[in-house]
Amino acid sequence: MSRHISEQYDAELELVRRRFMEMGGLVEQQMRDAVQALVTHDAALGARVRKQDHEVNRYEVSLDEQCIQIIARRQPAASDLRLLVTIMKASTDLERIGDEADRIARMAIDTAGHELPRNHYDEIRRISDLVAKMVAAALDAVARLDTTEALNQIAADKNVDDAYHDAIAQLARQMSDHPETVDQTLATIWAARALERIGDHAKNISEYVLYLVKGKDIRHLPKGSFEKESPLPPD
Amino acid sequence: MSEVNAAPQRANYVSMPAGSDASTAGGMTTETACIEVERLSLFYGESQALKDVSMIIPKHRVTAFIGPSGCGKSTLLRCFNRMNDLIDGVRTTGSIRLEGSDINDTDLDVAQLRRRVGMVFQRPNPFPKSIYENVAYGLRLEEKLPSSEMDDRVEWALRSAALWDEVKDRLRESALGLSGGQQQRLVIARAVAVKPDVLLLDEPASALDPLSTLKIEELIHQLKSDYTIAIVTHNMQQAARVSDYTAFLYLGELVEFDTTATVFTNPAQKRTEDYITGRYG
Amino acid sequence: MAKRKRTGWFASGEPWIWLNAAAVGISISAVLGLLLLIGSQGLSHFWPSDVEAVQLRADNASAAPLLGEWVGSETVSRQQFMEASPQAEIPHDEPLVERRLLKTGNRREAPPDFRWLDSHEIVSTTIPDDVIVIERTEWGNLYGRLVSVTLDNRVQEGEAAIDAFMAALERVETLRGSIVELEGGAIASVNSGLEKIRLERRAMQMSDEADPAREARIAARQAELDAIYQTAEAELRDAQAALRRDSAEIRISDGRIVTLNLADTVRAWYPNRMGVIDKIAHYGASLWIFLSDSPREANTEGGIFPAIFGTVMMVLLMSVLVTPFGVIAAVYLREYARQGAFVRLIRIAVNNLAGVPSIVYGVFGLGFFVYFVGGSIDQLFYPEALPAPTFGTPGLLWASLTLALLTVPVVIVSTEEGLTRIPRAVREGSLALGATKAETLFRIVLPMASPSILTGVILAIARAAGEVAPLMLVGVVKLAPTLPLDGEFPFLHLDRKFMHLGFHIYDVGFQSPNVEAARPLVYATALLLVLIILVLNLTAIMLRNRLEARYRSLEG
Repeated sequence: MSRHISEQYDAELELVRRRFMEMGGLVEQQMRDAVQALVTHDAALGARVRKQDHEVNRYEVSLDEQCIQIIARRQPAASDLRLLVTIMKASTDLERIGDEADRIARMAIDTAGHELPRNHYDEIRRISDLVAKMVAAALDAVARLDTTEALNQIAADKNVDDAYHDAIAQLARQMSDHPETVDQTLATIWAARALERIGDHAKNISEYVLYLVKGKDIRHLPKGSFEKESPLPPD
Repeated sequence: MSEVNAAPQRANYVSMPAGSDASTAGGMTTETACIEVERLSLFYGESQALKDVSMIIPKHRVTAFIGPSGCGKSTLLRCFNRMNDLIDGVRTTGSIRLEGSDINDTDLDVAQLRRRVGMVFQRPNPFPKSIYENVAYGLRLEEKLPSSEMDDRVEWALRSAALWDEVKDRLRESALGLSGGQQQRLVIARAVAVKPDVLLLDEPASALDPLSTLKIEELIHQLKSDYTIAIVTHNMQQAARVSDYTAFLYLGELVEFDTTATVFTNPAQKRTEDYITGRYG
Repeated sequence: MAKRKRTGWFASGEPWIWLNAAAVGISISAVLGLLLLIGSQGLSHFWPSDVEAVQLRADNASAAPLLGEWVGSETVSRQQFMEASPQAEIPHDEPLVERRLLKTGNRREAPPDFRWLDSHEIVSTTIPDDVIVIERTEWGNLYGRLVSVTLDNRVQEGEAAIDAFMAALERVETLRGSIVELEGGAIASVNSGLEKIRLERRAMQMSDEADPAREARIAARQAELDAIYQTAEAELRDAQAALRRDSAEIRISDGRIVTLNLADTVRAWYPNRMGVIDKIAHYGASLWIFLSDSPREANTEGGIFPAIFGTVMMVLLMSVLVTPFGVIAAVYLREYARQGAFVRLIRIAVNNLAGVPSIVYGVFGLGFFVYFVGGSIDQLFYPEALPAPTFGTPGLLWASLTLALLTVPVVIVSTEEGLTRIPRAVREGSLALGATKAETLFRIVLPMASPSILTGVILAIARAAGEVAPLMLVGVVKLAPTLPLDGEFPFLHLDRKFMHLGFHIYDVGFQSPNVEAARPLVYATALLLVLIILVLNLTAIMLRNRLEARYRSLEG
């Protein structure tokens, strides 16, 4: 994309984009750490994750503020407008991801005193791998305006959902087989649920990428109506 | 003057390169055409100011023309009431039809055309007469109305232009005593008084302060239900605020013509995108 | 290279400011000086100054003291003085000699009426209060002492004579008024009626058609007019006889007694008995006579009303002719003509017309308007009056037309400028409302250009009112018997010759037999001409300013 006549405008947009990517990086880290704390029963790490959630919230507030400032002062149109709207919405999703990570971290602290389950949180690890990849790829798509990647991630959400349903089924079995571990298993279910939500948020972010690049809001459209069209050639 | 194209290609009104997102012009299909421009080219001597412009200006809608200075948007506007006739050495090809009849027809009375297609200019240009006489000017040219009827028409026109309440007590005072914004609304009232079909606004707010500008924009919104309005503006936000359709012209070419919502959120052409986001073309 | 010095008085630009200020100052003082000169010289003429009795040395001229008013003095070198009057004796070896000019009047009885007196000759001067000044219809003022008055064959002397004389003057004034009325009213209309009959007869002769009925009607009309004429003439004769009834005897300075018929007097006053208030009243009356009366005695006495009237008439008529002509030409050049080399050429030609010497226009007016156009009109419409020309002779119309031609470039240029200044947006506004070009022109453009048009007319008036040379060829005469505007149909007589202030100045100043007597009138007339031009200009300027105020905020 060519540069604005106003270099200051370019700089402002670039700053917002960079802050968003920083926020994305932070949230990604939060998520990984939270899962790590859960699967290793590391209460200290869990507490650190919880503490960092404030910073994620601060990022969201400041990003919103910067976007509003630019909208008020520059009256952005077309791609600029779409970029700002995308960032504002995606930052909300990132913040939610942060909240989910916080929830996982709370589970980690709660379960830290117990023994590790026999399967060593196998199902959680599987889901978190998928979700972490999705979040990373969605952020990547934002950074590179990569609609193909975004479409892939929208599709990938299905895998997460499948994995989540498998995990729930397995954990439910485990609860009935080992009633003494109900508390712990329930926490695991909650964590799995949080990860599934993170996957949904990552999917949202990918959808925003499509809006950002193609100007089409594909949320709530019948599935497949968008994928048929070829993406715009990158500028 | 004009060379009417014998076989107009109706499919090609909105000139867009093949392969682009055709559905973006879809909003147009439900509209009634007021002015149809077909393959219009205009030359000032040797230089070409408009290149093969084809478009339909829908009835009772506001159509905005945007583009950098010298892109031909004012020239195009002035084609609609043949104000370009006043300039020596102007030559046009193609055709413009107003409600189906060719405006460049040799039988057509230009004065009659200009009565049907009113125009408001960049700077307020009230005549050095009273407010009343300014509004009555166009009426007096054609019809001899009894004075009570004339009073009614003047009041109606001033009300249409949202000026009546401000000037009703000083109709006999000079129009030059009004503020810039009031003068511009007076000029609009003057144009409205002769009951035209189309109002052409050539940067109507560029010489006004922001508040007066908003009043004019509000007025445009109100007038839309009775008139087809074409507005040229340098102010893209203004085009975005007031218009239903936006045409982007660049170097005499119609680059993009679509609903305003589309043009300002998701233009199809990179040149449009660059222009409205303020990028180097 | 040395650095140029950028400071100091010269570099500051101060010298230029001083230069400009000096130029403005010189211009203003020149104008003020001019006004002051003609004002003081012209206006002091009407002041009734004291009449002094001047006793000269016995060995010089007569022993009796001279009576007269001092009107001027000059200082000349001794040598110059000796050359002029070698017989004069100057007692001292003074390098400069003062000479004084005494107006002694009495041009018929004891010429000359102005005398240069060497101040050494003057023994004494007194102001005798019994000196009377009588303004006569001919031969200028009479200075002397009233001896007796004969009223209706009764002789009165001494102080009683003075009152009787003044009362008789009033009677003369009334009688003279009634005679003028008779001449201008009944007799003039009979004369013009007779002239019409003559022309009608001639027209009948020329058409070679016998029309007895018409002939009879004309004869009857002539008899009727003749009868009126007889009565009027008898009345006139009576009035004239009554006018010449009284006389007075005046002793002039050398002791001779002069008999003066009161019919020949205009006014009389005792200047040395008058207080300041009397003198002011007399001054006002003199000024009024100057403004409202006709000239007498080869224009050196009386008033200049016909000249004022003629000047104003001519200028107004010229304005009426030049305005439409100039405006139409300018409108064509600016609005309709295709702008190109040809129009540029015309514009240059028009501008250059303004530089053609005015006498050339006079020659053109005489040759084209008077002889060609006027001659043709006479051939076509007034054949019965020929060979006496009606329009084929210089007259008011031709003078106005010639001046209109002279000033039309000014109007064209200034109108064109006004037309150019009208914003295009306003014209387009009118056209966009469906007005045609002509409608726009008449409803918008011309009203807005009216201040510029008026500016052109102002300049034209200023030029036309001051023009003399061409007028001498096409209509101005030194003495016109009638005004160009009167109560007789068609009221405005475009064919008549008229008087003009500018020409009047020239005539009085250079063609008068009595230069000394005429000089103050030259100044007074010049002042009046300046004032009239000023009034005409101010009127037009006020009109323009009002129009400008109406259209101001649209320009720029």
